[in-house]
Amino acid sequence: MARQFLWVIVPYLALVLFIAGHIWRYQRDQFGWTSKSSELLEKRQLRLGSLLFHWGILFVFVGHVMGILIPEPFYTALGVTEEMYHVIALAGGIPAGLAAFGGFVILFRRRLTVKRVRATSSTGDWVALGFLLAVIASGLSSTFLNIDSHGFDYRTTIGPWFRGLLTFRPNPAYMETVPLWFQIHILAAFGLFAVWPFTRLVHVFSFPLRYLQRSYVVYRKRMPKQAEPVNHAK
Amino acid sequence: MKRKRSPLTNRFKYIRPIERQADGHSETTYGDRAWEDAYRRRWQHDKVVRSTHGVNCTGSCSWNIYVKNGIVTWEGQQLDYPSTGPDMPDFEPRGCPRGASFSWYMYSPLRVKYPYIRGILLDMWREALSHHPNNPLEAWKSIVEDREKAKRYKQARGKGGFVRVSWDEALTLVAASLLYTVVKYGPDRNVGFSPIPAMSMVSHAAGARFMQLMGGPILSFYDWYADLPPASPQIWGDQTDVPESSDWYNAGYIITWGSNVPLTRTPDAHFLAEVRYRGTKVVSVSPDYAESTKFADDWLSVKQGTDGALAMAMGHVILNEYYVKRTVPYFEQYAKTYTDFPFVVTLKQDGGAWTAGRFLLAKDLGKQTGNAEWKPVIYDENTGTFAVPNGTIGTRWEDKGKWNLRLVDEETEQPLEPRLSFLGSEDAVMSIKLPYFTAEGGKTIERAVPVKKVHTEAGDVYVTTVYDLILANYGIDRGIGGVVARSYDDEVPFTPAWQEAITGVDRELVVKIAREFADNAIDTNGRSMIIVGAGINHWFHSDTIYRAVLNLVLFVGAQGVNGGGWAHYVGQEKLRPAEGWQTIALARDWVGPAKLQNGTSFFYFATDQWRYEERPIDELVSPLAKKARYSHPGDYNVLAARLGWLPSYPTFNKNGIELYNEAVSHGARTPEEIGAYVAKQLKKKELQFAIEDPDNEANFPRNLIVWRANLISSSGKGHEYFLKHLLGTTNGLLNDDRNSLRPEEIRWRDEAPEGKLDLLVNLDFRMAGTALYSDVVLPAATWYEKHDLSSTDMHPFIHPFNPAVPPLWEARSDWDIFKSLAKAVSDVAKQAGLKPIKEVVATPLLHDTAQELAQPFGEVKDWSKGETEPIPGKTMPNIHVIERDYTLLYDQMTALGTNVARQPIGTKGIAWTAKEEYEQLKRRLGTVPRASIADGCPDISEAKKAVEAILTLSSTTNGKMAVKAWEALEKKTNLELADLAKEREEECFTFEQITAQPKTVITSPAFSGSEKGGRRYSPFTTNVERLIPWRTLTGRQSFYIDHELMREFGEAMATFKPVLPHRPFSNKRPTKNGKEVVLNYLTPHNKWSVHSMYFDSLPMLTLFRGGPTVWMNKDDAAEAGIADNDWIECFNENGVVVARAVVSHRLPRGMAFMHHAQDRHINVPGTKLTNNRGGTHNSPTRIHVKPTHMIGGYAQLSYGFNYYGPTGNQRDLFVVIRKLEEVDWLEDESASWHGHELG
Repeated sequence: MARQFLWVIVPYLALVLFIAGHIWRYQRDQFGWTSKSSELLEKRQLRLGSLLFHWGILFVFVGHVMGILIPEPFYTALGVTEEMYHVIALAGGIPAGLAAFGGFVILFRRRLTVKRVRATSSTGDWVALGFLLAVIASGLSSTFLNIDSHGFDYRTTIGPWFRGLLTFRPNPAYMETVPLWFQIHILAAFGLFAVWPFTRLVHVFSFPLRYLQRSYVVYRKRMPKQAEPVNHAK
Repeated sequence: MKRKRSPLTNRFKYIRPIERQADGHSETTYGDRAWEDAYRRRWQHDKVVRSTHGVNCTGSCSWNIYVKNGIVTWEGQQLDYPSTGPDMPDFEPRGCPRGASFSWYMYSPLRVKYPYIRGILLDMWREALSHHPNNPLEAWKSIVEDREKAKRYKQARGKGGFVRVSWDEALTLVAASLLYTVVKYGPDRNVGFSPIPAMSMVSHAAGARFMQLMGGPILSFYDWYADLPPASPQIWGDQTDVPESSDWYNAGYIITWGSNVPLTRTPDAHFLAEVRYRGTKVVSVSPDYAESTKFADDWLSVKQGTDGALAMAMGHVILNEYYVKRTVPYFEQYAKTYTDFPFVVTLKQDGGAWTAGRFLLAKDLGKQTGNAEWKPVIYDENTGTFAVPNGTIGTRWEDKGKWNLRLVDEETEQPLEPRLSFLGSEDAVMSIKLPYFTAEGGKTIERAVPVKKVHTEAGDVYVTTVYDLILANYGIDRGIGGVVARSYDDEVPFTPAWQEAITGVDRELVVKIAREFADNAIDTNGRSMIIVGAGINHWFHSDTIYRAVLNLVLFVGAQGVNGGGWAHYVGQEKLRPAEGWQTIALARDWVGPAKLQNGTSFFYFATDQWRYEERPIDELVSPLAKKARYSHPGDYNVLAARLGWLPSYPTFNKNGIELYNEAVSHGARTPEEIGAYVAKQLKKKELQFAIEDPDNEANFPRNLIVWRANLISSSGKGHEYFLKHLLGTTNGLLNDDRNSLRPEEIRWRDEAPEGKLDLLVNLDFRMAGTALYSDVVLPAATWYEKHDLSSTDMHPFIHPFNPAVPPLWEARSDWDIFKSLAKAVSDVAKQAGLKPIKEVVATPLLHDTAQELAQPFGEVKDWSKGETEPIPGKTMPNIHVIERDYTLLYDQMTALGTNVARQPIGTKGIAWTAKEEYEQLKRRLGTVPRASIADGCPDISEAKKAVEAILTLSSTTNGKMAVKAWEALEKKTNLELADLAKEREEECFTFEQITAQPKTVITSPAFSGSEKGGRRYSPFTTNVERLIPWRTLTGRQSFYIDHELMREFGEAMATFKPVLPHRPFSNKRPTKNGKEVVLNYLTPHNKWSVHSMYFDSLPMLTLFRGGPTVWMNKDDAAEAGIADNDWIECFNENGVVVARAVVSHRLPRGMAFMHHAQDRHINVPGTKLTNNRGGTHNSPTRIHVKPTHMIGGYAQLSYGFNYYGPTGNQRDLFVVIRKLEEVDWLEDESASWHGHELG
C-alpha cells in the first residue's frame, strides 16, 4: 500500500499539480510570471552562480532524458554497452551535477548573505530553493554512491517505472530494489514539481525559443471580435 | 460584460502569424493586447486637481495632483503658465524632486492622524477636571500653579507618551490654558509662531487672526531665520524686493554670490543656464565648489565670511576707474538722481580728530519748512547754495505733493544740479578719521576729504558730501593726501591687495571681475546683476557684507533696471495679495493695532540665550567710539524696547488688563491719559518692561502655538537652550552661565528658570521635531487636502491649493483648526463667565507711518536716564487701549468685520477705501445670518471664502483696488502713476480663475516693479522710471546711514568686518581623547530637503546616505583620523550633534557643512558627551544679536514686522569634530544611558 502511495499516487498528484498549477498561474497571474531577477541588487555573485547553475542543470536535464526516458534496449541496439553507457553518463553527469550544485551553493549563499537580496526574497523563493537543494544534493549523492556500475542499474528499474507513469501503466514493483538515495531523489523531485508552478521556477517556460523563428518586427492586430474596447477591470 | 479572453488561448493564438511582410522581416499576429490596458490605466485618474506645496522654499510651483480610488497616487508639474513672451524661455516646468515626492507623506508613518496629548498631562487634566467640573480655568490652574505637577509634565516633553484624544478634549485644554493665561498673566503671554505666510497664506492667516483676536502676539520669522538682509531696509527702506527669476534672462552679467541657485532655487535654475547661451557671463563667488559654481566662467573661491572684503575691493576698483580716473555719464546721472551720493554730511570734532557726523539738515540751515529736522540737503551747482530737494522723508509726511524724485528745489521748484563732490570748490581739505576692522580688532585710518564751511544755527560747521566720504572710505587716491592706495598692490583698506590677504582671492581676478561688471553696466545701461544668498547672509555681520556687495550695483546704476541689481533669494517671499491678507491675518477687520513681535528678541530672552553672553560689545564697536554704550547685547534690546524701537511682548511686568484698570482707577479715561499714566509709571519705575526681568515668572511666555513650522529643531537656533529653559526637559547643553557677562539693564537671577512654557501646541501633518516636544499635537491637513493660496517673488503668479482628497483620518485644515479653537475659547469663556476686558497695548514706532519721524538727528535719547521725557509714540512706544470679548471670538473669527468698510485699507504708507469691495463680498460670500456681533458681515467661515476675500481686497489681484492704490500714491507724490494698472482695472481674480490657469498679478504700489504689458518684474523700476522716492531718509538709495548707533559701530558706510572670533568652549570642555579638529560650523540649505521637510521622507533619504551627515575637507578629516562615512560627533558649548562624515575635496579646509534642518527623528545615535541622542543640526548653534539691528524711530530704520530687527544668525561658530567612539542607538533599555528621548 505504501508502495502504491509513494510510487503511483504521489507522482500523479505532483504531475497534476504541476500541469494544472501552471495553467492556473498563467491565467491568473500574468504580471507575476517572472524569473524575479535580482541582478539589480547584486551582480557579481549572480553572474558566476547563475551561469554555473543554469548550464549545469541543462546538462543534468539532458542526462536524465538519456537515462530515464530513453529505454536501455535503444542503446544496446546502437551497440552501446552498459560499460560504455556508464562511462559516458558519469563523465557527463558528474561535471554537470557538480556545476549545478556549485552554482546552487553560490546562489543560496548569496540569497542568505546579501542583505538586499534577502530582504526581497519571498516564501516561494525559499521553498523552491529548499526543494532544489534536496533534489540536487540527493541526486548527486546517488550518482557518487553508484559509480560502481555493477551495483544498481536505474535503466532497468527507475526508467521503466517512470515511463510507465507517462504511459499510464504505473508499476510500483520496479521500485522494489531502488536504493534509498534514489528514492529520496525521486520523491524530492516530485515535491519540486508540485510547488514549481507557484514559484519563480515558471520562468523555465518563458524561455524565448520563439526568437529563433519569429520575424524581426512583430505587429499585433486586434482580433475582429476584440476590436471593441476591452478597457474594463477583470 | 464581455468575458476576457484567457491569456493561455491568446498565447497559442499568436504562435502563427496571420501574415508576413517584407520578406519575412515583419509579421502580424493576433497577439494578446490586453496587457496594454495596464499601461493605459496607469494614466487614468478619477480626478486631477491643481494644487501646490506650502513648503518654506517659496518656489510656489503649480502641480497636478492625481487621485485614483480615493488615493493620491502622485503629482506632476503643471505646464500651463502664461508665456513670458516670444524672446524668452518660459517658466514651466517648475518643480523639483522634493515636491515631486510629497504625496508620500500623506500615507507615511510620520503622518499625524489624530489629536494627541502627552499621557502624563492628560491624566492630570482629567483628574483636575473631575475636581473642578465645569470650570476648566480652575482645573488648568490646579496643574500649572502646582510646581511639582508642572515640572513633571514639562520634563516629559520629547519623551513620547502621546495618547490619542478627541478634538473636543484637546481644544478645551488649549482654550483653558489660553484663557487662564489671559486672566492671570495677560493676553500678550500667549504667543503664535508661523513663518512665511506667502507659502500658504490662508493657513497662516488662520492662526494669526486667532492670535490677534486673542490679543496674543505673533512672532516674526524672516529676521529670526537670519534670512532678512538688514542692509535692504538700511539702503532702500524696503524689506526685500527682488526680481523674478525670469528677469535673470535679461541680465548681461551675473555674479552668484553665496547663493547656490541650482540647489535652492531648483525650479528657477534653468533661466541661469539659458541666459548663458545668450552670451551672459556668470561668475561664482563661493568658498566651496558649489553646484552654482558649475554655471560659472570665473570662480572666486573666497574664504567663508570674508565676502565683505572682496566686495569692498571691487568697489575700490570701480570707484577708482569709473568715478575718479574717468567719469561715466550714465553712472553719474544715476548717482545724482537715485542715490544719496550728493547729500551733505557734517563733520564732527572728537578729541582733536575729525570724523563723519550726521546729515546736514534744512533745520541746521534755518530753512522755514515743515519737518525741517527730516530734510537732508544737497549742494546745488546752479545756485551755488545748499538746497532741499524733493523726495526727502520730511516731504513724505507733509503731504504737499513734494515726495518725488524730481530734481527740483522743494521750496522754489527750481531745477537742481546736485554736486557730487566738493573737490574743486572746497573751502579746505580736511583729514578725517575712519574706522576699519581687522581680525585683531578695530583700527582707524586718516583720510582726506574736501570740505565746505557752512554757517548753521549751531555755529560754523564743516561739511562734505556722501560721495567724498565714500571715496575716502574706500581709500581712493584723489591727490589730496591721506593714507590712500597709490596702486592696487598697496596693502591699505580696501584695495585688491589688501583683500587678498583676507579672502585668499587673487587680486588680479578681483580687478578683472570688477572691471567687467562695470563695463557690462556701461554697455547695457545697468544690466549687471548679483544673485546673493544665505552663504553671505547668515553671518553676524551680514549687513556689512551686503552693503559692500550692494554698493557695487548702485555704483554702476544697475538697481531698478530689468536684468540688473541685486537678487536676494534666501527666505524671501512675496505675499502678492498683501492688503487683503493683512486685513484678515491681523484681524484688522475687528481689532487693532496688531501685536507683532520680532522673533529674535523673543527667543533670545525666552530661551535665556541672553544669560550666556561672553563677548562684550566693546570689542565690536568702532575704535572711534572707544567704548560701547553697553557691554551686554541684551541691554541694547532693553533700550530698544524702552525707546519704542522694537516691539516687546510680553510688554510689561503687569497684565495689560490690570494696567488698564489701574490707570482708570487713577483717573485716566482717554487713551492719551492712559498713555500718560503708563509713561509716568515707567519713569517712576513703578512699572517695568518684561524684558528687564525675563526670568521672572510673571514675565514668561505661557502658551506657544506653532503651525506650518518646525521650530524645535529646524529653526530653533540654540536648540539645547530651547530644551532647557523654554521647555524644561532633558537637554544636551554643555554651557553654564557662571562666568558670563552680566547685563546692566536686566535683572540677573542666579537660578535660571527651566520650563517657562506652560503649553506648546503644534499643528502639523508630520510627527517631526516640534510635534515630538509639544504637549498637544493637532493633526493638520496636508497641501493636497485644503484650499489656500501661494505666491512668491520667483514668478508673478498666484497659485491655489485645492483639496485632491478630504483631510485624511481626523486631520483638519489650519483654517478649520483655528476656527474650532476659536469656538472652544468662546465656549470656555462663556462657561467661565468672562466679561469683556480692556487692555493696555504698546506698539513700536512704525516704518511707513509718520512715527518714523519720531526721534530726529539719529540721536539716542533715553528717558530712563533723564535725557528726555517719556512721551508715547515719540520717545517711547505708542500706548493703545483695546477692548476684547472672548465670548465673541468665534463670531469674529468666521466673519469679515465691519472695519473693512469703515477704515481705510492700505500699504506702505498710502491708504484708500475698500467700501465697495466690502459690499461686493457680502453678495459673493453671503452674510452671517445669526444675530451676533457679526450680523450681516461677509461669511468667511471657510478657507475658500477667506481666499476670495483676500483676492478681492488686494491691489495685485483686483484691478480696481490697484487703480485706487496708485491714485492714492499719485496724491502723495504728485506724479502720474495710475496708468500702470489702468489696462487691467476690470480684472478681479477669483479662486476658480487661478485654478483654471495661473494669472500674472496686477502692477501695484504694494511692490516696486512693474508687470505692465507682460514686462518681467524687477524691483525699484517704478522708482527709477516713475521717480517714486525710496522710503528712506533722503528718499534715495543710501550709502550713508547717520544714526548715532551706526556710527558707534563704525557702520555709517559699508565696510568689512571679520567673522566673530568664537571658540568652541570658553570655559571647561569635555576631556580630549584622541584626534580632533576645530572647524567653522556652517548650516547651509540641503539639496534633498526644504528645511526639515522631506529630510525624513523615504524617497529623499534614499538619494544620499539616508541620515544626518556633515561634510568636511579630506585633509581636515585626515587630521582628525576620520574616514568617509565614519560616525562623528560635532560639539561645542552649545551642544552636540552626531552624524556621518562626508569627506570631500569639494570643501576648502577650515569649514564643516551640516546641511540645515536634519531633524532628530531620523537615524541619530547617542553620544557619551550628553548621554543622550546626538541632537540636531541646531544643537551646536546659538544666536548672537547685533545692536545696530535694533535701531528704530528713525526713518528707514524704524520698525517693521519682518522688516527690521536683530537677525538670528548662527554662522560665526566653531565646533570640535571627532570620531564617535561607540555607535549606540540607545535601544537597549538596560544600558547605562539615561534620559532617552524618543526612545
